[in-house]
Amino acid sequence: MSPALVRLGRQLVLVPIVALASYFLMAALPLTTEDDAKRQVAPEVLASYRRDLGLGQPLGFLRPWVKLFRGERLGTSAQGVTGDELLWKLSGSVGVGLVALVLALGWALAFALLRARWRRGRLAVLGDALPAVAFGTPVFIPALLLAPAVVERGHLLPELSAALVISVWPGIFLGTLVADALDTELSRDYVRTALGKGLSPHSVLWRHVLPNVLPALLDAVGPVATALLAGSFAAERVFGLPYFGQLYVLAVLQKQVAVVVVATTVFASLLVAVGLVVELVRLWVDPRAREVRA
Amino acid sequence: MSTRRVPTRAWVGLALLVGLGLASWLSARVFPEALASTCPLGTDPTHPDRTVCELAFGGLWVSLAVGLVAGALSTVLGLGVAMVARAAGGTVEHQLLRAVDAVFALPDVLVVMVLQLAGQSMLDAGHAGGLGPFGLMVVSLALVGWAGPARMFRNRLATLEGQEFIAASRALGAGRWHLLRVHLWPALRPFVLAVFLSRLPTAILTESTVSFFGIARMEPMSLGRYLGTSYAALIYEGGARVVLPAWGLLVLLVLGASLASQALGAGTRRA
Repeated sequence: MSPALVRLGRQLVLVPIVALASYFLMAALPLTTEDDAKRQVAPEVLASYRRDLGLGQPLGFLRPWVKLFRGERLGTSAQGVTGDELLWKLSGSVGVGLVALVLALGWALAFALLRARWRRGRLAVLGDALPAVAFGTPVFIPALLLAPAVVERGHLLPELSAALVISVWPGIFLGTLVADALDTELSRDYVRTALGKGLSPHSVLWRHVLPNVLPALLDAVGPVATALLAGSFAAERVFGLPYFGQLYVLAVLQKQVAVVVVATTVFASLLVAVGLVVELVRLWVDPRAREVRA
Repeated sequence: MSTRRVPTRAWVGLALLVGLGLASWLSARVFPEALASTCPLGTDPTHPDRTVCELAFGGLWVSLAVGLVAGALSTVLGLGVAMVARAAGGTVEHQLLRAVDAVFALPDVLVVMVLQLAGQSMLDAGHAGGLGPFGLMVVSLALVGWAGPARMFRNRLATLEGQEFIAASRALGAGRWHLLRVHLWPALRPFVLAVFLSRLPTAILTESTVSFFGIARMEPMSLGRYLGTSYAALIYEGGARVVLPAWGLLVLLVLGASLASQALGAGTRRA
């Protein structure tokens, strides 16, 4: 079997593992409605939870998915979700994530070029300080700082603001990686040779160096996609966006366990899809990856 | 054997962590009136009887304590998994590493949220085995955070085991326990400290985010829970006065741990 198919299979197997693990964890929760002192959920929530998870039924773990495909509502009527609503919410979060990815790539390129320029100057300390500040800043902090302008006064589009705040750390992280890869590539012999033969530094950078930096960037796309999607949970909560992250947080807070199972599995599937796209892009842009697989 | 000095950056990072943690604990638990009477930032909009300094600086040691215990636990778990993998070798090691990669691919915040839901339901039903909100958070973070250290320790052990002094010791008849105790552990120890410190910021930030959502019920309040309980008011009243101090403290914590971890990690790579 080809290595590409093996890698594909390894990624895909994560989806049923997450689906089953989250199902059995939720099915084992000791939720009670016994009396007011010990009550964790309302009786109607517990009834919908047992119904949605198909507890005690053969192949009960398929029950939430069957309900979604039939267009029925998971969870209680007020806070539950149907298959169509789930897809709509997911598309909203993915849209915000994609805008954030574009912004993050912009931050990354800008930071990498600035860091290369600052490297030997008095501003070199900024090249180390910025990643530390970005890493030490959870997404909800810039979201809270922007929130009065976005939510209260309506000055900025909430989706764009969410994309902006969740793109900062991934952008600086990618920029640090690109800057390190640029440092390594710029010190190689082929760069000296190209410059020695009279090629302009701009041409050397764009035609020779950056194509060699791209694989390092692709390696980081998986963790960055995870950070963007997880970051969107906090941004959606603060800006009041009714998308997937908000659905997930509310489902956990309200103990909508069937929704948690489905949403966790959908989230894992999304990450696997991102991983597969990265593999395909790598095969397309990196000849060395094609040679290894051949 | 040459003596290796601890890099200055590592001392600066450790001093920052210890200083912030001690100052926060003392001011919150021993001299609470000092922060209440001297705070220039005024009272918090949702806790009119408490000042911003009391809540932000007083929550710092809780976040740090969660990070320290969870970081230590996940480092020990990761080290255990790595040692089992190396001792077993072959297919068992391969399968263990695949499991490690699968856990590592999952986002921390999402998994901790699910584990908190499960843990709190057990706590409410009296099945949590004596764990409170603090213990639940630490266990959740450790269950998520062991995979990264396990991968790093496994790779480090494989590198060390391939070196000549280990081969020579084996050829002289050294057993596994002797190799681990006399040769591997002394070489691994600074790396273990560096990995532990690198887990610290991740654990602190994950706890802050989950607490911010209101899912964890940390008491006394951590920095994340403090901002989470005030966030509705912050949106409508403008929250820079409340958010900026908490942000600065989080950045300082992460900076201290990162400085120490990077300096110690660079030292072990050179060694």
